[in-house]
Amino acid sequence: MSRIAGLFLITFVMVLSGCAHQVELSKQEKFLAAAPRSILIVPVVNNSVDVAAAEYVLSTLSIPLGEHGYYVFPVNMVKRVLEDDGLADASLVHSSPTSKLAALFGADSVLYVTVNQWNAKYMLLNTQVNVALDYRINDAKTDDILWSHHQNMIYNSNQGGGGGGGLGGLIAQLIVEAIHAAITKGVPNYLPLANQANTLALLSYPGNGIPPGPYATEEKELSPRTDK
Amino acid sequence: MALTFKLFAVISALTLLAGCAAQPRYTWCKYDCTLYDHYKNPAQNDDFIEELKEAVMKSEAAGQVPPGLYAEYGYVLYEKGDSQTAIQYFQKEADKWPESRVFMAKMITNAQKGYKKKEEVAKPNTAGAEPNQAEGGQTEVKK
Repeated sequence: MSRIAGLFLITFVMVLSGCAHQVELSKQEKFLAAAPRSILIVPVVNNSVDVAAAEYVLSTLSIPLGEHGYYVFPVNMVKRVLEDDGLADASLVHSSPTSKLAALFGADSVLYVTVNQWNAKYMLLNTQVNVALDYRINDAKTDDILWSHHQNMIYNSNQGGGGGGGLGGLIAQLIVEAIHAAITKGVPNYLPLANQANTLALLSYPGNGIPPGPYATEEKELSPRTDK
Repeated sequence: MALTFKLFAVISALTLLAGCAAQPRYTWCKYDCTLYDHYKNPAQNDDFIEELKEAVMKSEAAGQVPPGLYAEYGYVLYEKGDSQTAIQYFQKEADKWPESRVFMAKMITNAQKGYKKKEEVAKPNTAGAEPNQAEGGQTEVKK
Protein backbone atom coordinates (compact mmCIF):
# COMPACT_ATOMS: atom_id res chain seq x y z
CA MET A 1 0.00 0.00 0.00
CA SER A 2 2.65 2.45 1.04
CA ARG A 3 4.64 1.42 -2.00
CA ILE A 4 1.79 2.40 -4.28
CA ALA A 5 1.48 5.67 -2.42
CA GLY A 6 5.22 6.21 -2.88
CA LEU A 7 4.99 5.49 -6.60
CA PHE A 8 2.12 7.90 -6.92
CA LEU A 9 4.07 10.55 -5.05
CA ILE A 10 7.11 10.11 -7.31
CA THR A 11 4.97 10.41 -10.44
CA PHE A 12 3.30 13.46 -9.01
CA VAL A 13 6.62 15.11 -8.18
CA MET A 14 7.94 14.31 -11.65
CA VAL A 15 4.91 15.88 -13.28
CA LEU A 16 5.26 18.91 -11.03
CA SER A 17 8.94 19.31 -11.76
CA GLY A 18 8.14 19.06 -15.46
CA CYS A 19 5.81 22.01 -15.13
CA ALA A 20 8.23 23.99 -13.02
CA HIS A 21 10.87 23.45 -15.66
CA GLN A 22 8.82 25.10 -18.37
CA VAL A 23 8.01 28.10 -16.22
CA GLU A 24 11.67 28.57 -15.43
CA LEU A 25 12.71 28.28 -19.05
CA SER A 26 10.68 31.36 -19.89
CA LYS A 27 12.40 33.14 -17.01
CA GLN A 28 15.76 32.25 -18.47
CA GLU A 29 14.63 33.82 -21.72
CA LYS A 30 14.21 37.08 -19.84
CA PHE A 31 17.63 36.62 -18.31
CA LEU A 32 19.22 35.89 -21.68
CA ALA A 33 17.57 38.96 -23.18
CA ALA A 34 18.81 41.24 -20.39
CA ALA A 35 22.27 39.57 -20.50
CA PRO A 36 23.65 41.13 -17.30
CA ARG A 37 27.46 41.24 -17.04
CA SER A 38 27.52 41.89 -13.33
CA ILE A 39 25.59 40.58 -10.33
CA LEU A 40 25.29 42.47 -7.06
CA ILE A 41 25.08 39.96 -4.21
CA VAL A 42 23.20 41.64 -1.38
CA PRO A 43 22.87 40.39 2.23
CA VAL A 44 20.73 37.29 2.71
CA VAL A 45 17.40 37.36 4.57
CA ASN A 46 17.14 34.66 7.20
CA ASN A 47 13.73 33.28 8.17
CA SER A 48 15.13 30.05 9.58
CA VAL A 49 15.86 29.00 13.14
CA ASP A 50 19.63 28.85 12.53
CA VAL A 51 21.01 32.30 13.37
CA ALA A 52 24.08 31.84 11.14
CA ALA A 53 22.26 30.52 8.06
CA ALA A 54 22.38 33.87 6.24
CA GLU A 55 26.16 33.99 6.64
CA TYR A 56 26.68 30.44 5.37
CA VAL A 57 24.79 31.29 2.24
CA LEU A 58 26.14 34.82 1.70
CA SER A 59 29.74 33.64 1.99
CA THR A 60 29.34 30.91 -0.61
CA LEU A 61 27.66 32.81 -3.47
CA SER A 62 30.62 34.67 -5.03
CA ILE A 63 32.75 31.71 -6.07
CA PRO A 64 30.13 29.80 -8.08
CA LEU A 65 28.86 32.98 -9.76
CA GLY A 66 32.35 34.29 -10.51
CA GLU A 67 33.40 30.93 -11.93
CA HIS A 68 30.19 30.94 -13.98
CA GLY A 69 31.51 34.02 -15.78
CA TYR A 70 29.93 37.01 -14.03
CA TYR A 71 31.46 40.02 -12.41
CA VAL A 72 30.47 39.71 -8.75
CA PHE A 73 30.74 42.70 -6.46
CA PRO A 74 32.81 42.33 -3.27
CA VAL A 75 30.34 40.85 -0.78
CA ASN A 76 31.66 42.30 2.46
CA MET A 77 32.38 45.73 1.00
CA VAL A 78 28.84 45.91 -0.40
CA LYS A 79 27.40 44.85 2.95
CA ARG A 80 29.35 47.54 4.79
CA VAL A 81 28.51 50.27 2.29
CA LEU A 82 24.81 49.39 2.56
CA GLU A 83 25.08 49.56 6.35
CA ASP A 84 26.61 53.03 6.06
CA ASP A 85 23.68 54.01 3.86
CA GLY A 86 21.22 52.97 6.57
CA LEU A 87 20.43 49.58 5.04
CA ALA A 88 21.83 47.35 7.78
CA ASP A 89 18.75 45.12 7.75
CA ALA A 90 18.76 42.56 4.92
CA SER A 91 14.98 42.58 4.58
CA LEU A 92 15.10 46.35 4.13
CA VAL A 93 17.61 45.83 1.31
CA HIS A 94 15.36 43.21 -0.27
CA SER A 95 12.33 45.48 -0.16
CA SER A 96 13.97 48.53 -1.72
CA PRO A 97 13.66 48.92 -5.52
CA THR A 98 16.33 47.05 -7.47
CA SER A 99 17.02 50.00 -9.76
CA LYS A 100 17.81 52.30 -6.83
CA LEU A 101 20.01 49.72 -5.19
CA ALA A 102 21.84 48.81 -8.39
CA ALA A 103 22.47 52.48 -9.21
CA LEU A 104 24.52 52.82 -6.03
CA PHE A 105 26.96 50.26 -7.38
CA GLY A 106 26.53 50.45 -11.14
CA ALA A 107 25.34 46.83 -11.18
CA ASP A 108 23.44 45.19 -14.05
CA SER A 109 21.43 42.90 -11.80
CA VAL A 110 20.86 42.09 -8.14
CA LEU A 111 20.71 38.64 -6.52
CA TYR A 112 18.37 38.25 -3.56
CA VAL A 113 18.54 35.07 -1.49
CA THR A 114 16.22 34.17 1.37
CA VAL A 115 16.76 31.24 3.73
CA ASN A 116 13.35 29.88 4.65
CA GLN A 117 14.46 26.74 6.41
CA TRP A 118 17.71 25.52 7.93
CA ASN A 119 16.88 22.81 10.45
CA ALA A 120 19.20 20.22 11.89
CA LYS A 121 17.65 17.26 13.65
CA TYR A 122 20.13 15.33 15.72
CA MET A 123 18.90 11.79 16.29
CA LEU A 124 20.68 8.87 17.84
CA LEU A 125 22.40 7.56 14.71
CA ASN A 126 21.53 10.16 12.16
CA THR A 127 21.69 13.88 11.59
CA GLN A 128 19.21 15.30 9.17
CA VAL A 129 19.46 18.82 7.81
CA ASN A 130 16.56 20.36 5.91
CA VAL A 131 17.30 23.40 3.83
CA ALA A 132 14.94 25.59 1.82
CA LEU A 133 16.20 28.62 -0.08
CA ASP A 134 14.66 31.16 -2.44
CA TYR A 135 16.79 32.80 -5.13
CA ARG A 136 15.80 35.76 -7.28
CA ILE A 137 17.75 37.92 -9.75
CA ASN A 138 16.22 41.26 -10.71
CA ASP A 139 17.12 43.56 -13.57
CA ALA A 140 18.73 46.88 -12.66
CA LYS A 141 16.98 48.84 -15.40
CA THR A 142 13.44 47.48 -15.28
CA ASP A 143 13.23 46.01 -11.76
CA ASP A 144 11.81 42.85 -13.43
CA ILE A 145 12.56 39.39 -12.11
CA LEU A 146 15.00 37.86 -14.59
CA TRP A 147 15.25 34.48 -12.90
CA SER A 148 14.07 32.81 -9.73
CA HIS A 149 14.40 29.42 -8.16
CA HIS A 150 13.32 27.59 -5.05
CA GLN A 151 15.93 25.12 -3.77
CA ASN A 152 15.14 22.36 -1.29
CA MET A 153 17.75 20.02 0.08
CA ILE A 154 17.65 17.22 2.61
CA TYR A 155 20.90 15.93 3.98
CA ASN A 156 21.09 12.66 5.94
CA SER A 157 24.30 11.69 7.69
CA ASN A 158 23.83 7.91 7.87
CA GLN A 159 23.21 7.14 4.23
CA GLY A 160 26.70 7.62 2.91
CA GLY A 161 26.65 4.64 0.54
CA GLY A 162 24.05 5.75 -2.00
CA GLY A 163 24.47 7.16 -5.46
CA GLY A 164 25.29 4.04 -7.51
CA GLY A 165 28.65 2.96 -8.89
CA GLY A 166 31.20 4.43 -11.27
CA LEU A 167 33.19 7.61 -11.02
CA GLY A 168 30.06 9.72 -10.52
CA GLY A 169 28.99 7.58 -7.60
CA LEU A 170 32.43 7.76 -6.06
CA ILE A 171 32.62 11.52 -6.39
CA ALA A 172 29.13 11.92 -5.01
CA GLN A 173 30.16 9.83 -2.07
CA LEU A 174 33.23 12.01 -1.51
CA ILE A 175 31.13 15.17 -1.49
CA VAL A 176 28.67 13.59 0.90
CA GLU A 177 31.52 12.52 3.13
CA ALA A 178 32.97 16.05 3.11
CA ILE A 179 29.64 17.48 4.13
CA HIS A 180 29.20 14.67 6.62
CA ALA A 181 32.59 15.29 8.26
CA ALA A 182 31.84 18.99 8.54
CA ILE A 183 28.43 18.53 10.07
CA THR A 184 29.08 15.86 12.67
CA LYS A 185 31.74 17.84 14.52
CA GLY A 186 30.85 19.55 17.78
CA VAL A 187 30.41 22.90 16.07
CA PRO A 188 28.86 22.09 12.71
CA ASN A 189 30.34 23.72 9.65
CA TYR A 190 27.62 24.19 7.11
CA LEU A 191 29.73 25.91 4.45
CA PRO A 192 30.04 22.80 2.22
CA LEU A 193 26.30 22.28 2.45
CA ALA A 194 25.55 25.94 1.67
CA ASN A 195 27.99 25.79 -1.22
CA GLN A 196 26.23 22.71 -2.54
CA ALA A 197 22.80 24.35 -2.33
CA ASN A 198 24.03 27.49 -4.10
CA THR A 199 25.74 25.51 -6.82
CA LEU A 200 22.67 23.35 -7.42
CA ALA A 201 20.39 26.36 -7.59
CA LEU A 202 22.51 28.69 -9.69
CA LEU A 203 24.72 26.60 -11.96
CA SER A 204 22.45 23.78 -13.14
CA TYR A 205 22.25 24.95 -16.73
CA PRO A 206 20.60 23.77 -18.85
CA GLY A 207 18.14 23.18 -16.05
CA ASN A 208 16.96 25.49 -13.32
CA GLY A 209 20.14 27.60 -13.14
CA ILE A 210 21.29 30.73 -14.94
CA PRO A 211 23.19 30.70 -18.26
CA PRO A 212 26.97 31.22 -18.16
CA GLY A 213 28.12 34.84 -17.93
CA PRO A 214 30.24 37.00 -20.24
CA TYR A 215 33.63 35.92 -18.87
CA ALA A 216 32.74 32.29 -19.57
CA THR A 217 31.42 32.90 -23.07
CA GLU A 218 33.95 35.51 -24.23
CA GLU A 219 36.98 33.64 -22.95
CA LYS A 220 39.44 35.43 -25.25
CA GLU A 221 38.48 38.83 -23.92
CA LEU A 222 39.49 37.95 -20.40
CA SER A 223 43.16 38.81 -20.52
CA PRO A 224 43.23 41.82 -22.89
CA ARG A 225 40.55 43.48 -20.78
CA THR A 226 43.15 44.55 -18.27
CA ASP A 227 43.82 47.51 -20.53
CA LYS A 228 47.29 48.44 -19.45
CA MET B 1 13.93 9.32 1.92
CA ALA B 2 16.49 7.03 0.30
CA LEU B 3 15.28 8.14 -3.09
CA THR B 4 15.66 11.82 -2.25
CA PHE B 5 19.14 11.07 -1.15
CA LYS B 6 20.05 9.13 -4.27
CA LEU B 7 18.72 11.94 -6.41
CA PHE B 8 20.80 14.39 -4.42
CA ALA B 9 23.88 12.19 -4.83
CA VAL B 10 23.43 11.94 -8.58
CA ILE B 11 22.94 15.67 -8.95
CA SER B 12 26.01 16.29 -6.80
CA ALA B 13 28.08 13.99 -8.97
CA LEU B 14 26.92 15.72 -12.13
CA THR B 15 27.62 19.13 -10.70
CA LEU B 16 31.06 18.13 -9.56
CA LEU B 17 31.89 16.42 -12.83
CA ALA B 18 30.83 19.52 -14.71
CA GLY B 19 33.07 21.50 -12.38
CA CYS B 20 36.00 19.19 -13.04
CA ALA B 21 35.70 19.55 -16.80
CA ALA B 22 37.02 23.12 -16.62
CA GLN B 23 39.90 24.43 -14.55
CA PRO B 24 38.86 27.07 -12.03
CA ARG B 25 38.87 30.46 -13.68
CA TYR B 26 40.28 32.31 -10.66
CA THR B 27 42.41 31.73 -7.59
CA TRP B 28 39.91 32.40 -4.80
CA CYS B 29 42.01 31.19 -1.85
CA LYS B 30 39.00 30.15 0.25
CA TYR B 31 37.25 33.48 -0.16
CA ASP B 32 34.10 31.79 1.21
CA CYS B 33 35.77 30.61 4.42
CA THR B 34 37.49 33.98 4.84
CA LEU B 35 34.16 35.79 4.68
CA TYR B 36 32.41 33.33 6.94
CA ASP B 37 35.16 33.44 9.56
CA HIS B 38 34.91 37.22 9.49
CA TYR B 39 31.16 37.14 10.17
CA LYS B 40 31.61 34.56 12.87
CA ASN B 41 34.44 36.41 14.64
CA PRO B 42 34.08 40.07 13.71
CA ALA B 43 36.50 41.03 16.47
CA GLN B 44 39.41 39.35 14.70
CA ASN B 45 39.56 41.94 11.97
CA ASP B 46 43.32 41.66 11.53
CA ASP B 47 42.97 38.00 10.52
CA PHE B 48 40.45 39.03 7.91
CA ILE B 49 42.82 41.66 6.50
CA GLU B 50 45.71 39.18 6.48
CA GLU B 51 43.69 36.51 4.68
CA LEU B 52 42.52 38.96 2.04
CA LYS B 53 46.07 40.22 1.56
CA GLU B 54 47.32 36.68 1.10
CA ALA B 55 44.54 35.95 -1.38
CA VAL B 56 45.47 39.05 -3.39
CA MET B 57 49.14 38.08 -3.49
CA LYS B 58 48.52 34.43 -4.39
CA SER B 59 45.95 35.16 -7.07
CA GLU B 60 48.15 37.89 -8.56
CA ALA B 61 51.06 35.45 -8.69
CA ALA B 62 48.83 32.95 -10.49
CA GLY B 63 47.51 35.68 -12.82
CA GLN B 64 43.94 34.76 -11.83
CA VAL B 65 42.63 37.52 -9.59
CA PRO B 66 38.90 36.91 -9.01
CA PRO B 67 36.30 39.66 -9.39
CA GLY B 68 35.83 41.79 -6.29
CA LEU B 69 39.00 40.75 -4.49
CA TYR B 70 41.07 43.91 -5.05
CA ALA B 71 38.13 46.02 -3.89
CA GLU B 72 37.43 43.81 -0.90
CA TYR B 73 41.02 44.18 0.25
CA GLY B 74 41.05 47.89 -0.51
CA TYR B 75 37.95 48.38 1.59
CA VAL B 76 39.37 46.79 4.75
CA LEU B 77 42.41 49.06 4.37
CA TYR B 78 40.08 52.03 3.95
CA GLU B 79 38.21 51.08 7.12
CA LYS B 80 41.51 50.81 8.91
CA GLY B 81 42.33 54.36 7.87
CA ASP B 82 44.84 53.65 5.11
CA SER B 83 42.97 55.54 2.40
CA GLN B 84 46.01 55.98 0.19
CA THR B 85 46.65 52.26 -0.28
CA ALA B 86 42.90 51.62 -0.43
CA ILE B 87 42.64 53.93 -3.44
CA GLN B 88 45.34 51.92 -5.23
CA TYR B 89 43.35 48.72 -4.82
CA PHE B 90 40.07 50.36 -5.85
CA GLN B 91 41.92 51.54 -8.95
CA LYS B 92 43.23 48.03 -9.62
CA GLU B 93 39.68 46.66 -9.41
CA ALA B 94 38.46 49.35 -11.83
CA ASP B 95 41.31 48.65 -14.26
CA LYS B 96 40.70 44.92 -14.30
CA TRP B 97 36.89 44.88 -14.25
CA PRO B 98 35.00 47.50 -16.30
CA GLU B 99 31.78 46.43 -14.52
CA SER B 100 33.15 47.81 -11.25
CA ARG B 101 34.06 51.31 -12.48
CA VAL B 102 30.96 53.21 -11.30
CA PHE B 103 31.29 51.83 -7.78
CA MET B 104 35.06 52.18 -7.65
CA ALA B 105 34.93 55.80 -8.85
CA LYS B 106 32.59 56.60 -5.94
CA MET B 107 34.75 54.79 -3.45
CA ILE B 108 37.90 56.50 -4.70
CA THR B 109 36.21 59.88 -4.26
CA ASN B 110 35.13 58.92 -0.74
CA ALA B 111 38.58 57.66 0.15
CA GLN B 112 40.18 60.85 -1.18
CA LYS B 113 37.95 62.93 1.08
CA GLY B 114 38.96 60.76 4.01
CA TYR B 115 42.59 61.10 3.03
CA LYS B 116 42.40 64.88 2.79
CA LYS B 117 40.78 65.07 6.22
CA LYS B 118 43.66 63.10 7.61
CA GLU B 119 46.18 65.39 5.93
CA GLU B 120 44.50 68.45 7.46
CA VAL B 121 44.91 66.91 10.88
CA ALA B 122 48.50 66.23 9.77
CA LYS B 123 48.53 62.62 10.81
CA PRO B 124 49.33 60.63 7.70
CA ASN B 125 51.03 57.88 9.66
CA THR B 126 48.53 55.15 8.90
CA ALA B 127 50.35 54.06 5.75
CA GLY B 128 53.23 51.66 5.98
CA ALA B 129 51.47 48.29 6.17
CA GLU B 130 51.68 47.93 2.43
CA PRO B 131 54.64 46.80 0.35
CA ASN B 132 53.93 48.84 -2.78
CA GLN B 133 52.76 52.13 -1.36
CA ALA B 134 55.46 53.96 -3.30
CA GLU B 135 53.27 54.00 -6.42
CA GLY B 136 50.62 56.00 -4.53
CA GLY B 137 48.43 58.87 -5.57
CA GLN B 138 46.58 57.46 -8.59
CA THR B 139 43.40 59.37 -8.53
CA GLU B 140 41.42 59.14 -11.76
CA VAL B 141 39.39 56.15 -12.83
CA LYS B 142 40.63 55.16 -16.26
CA LYS B 143 38.10 54.80 -19.04
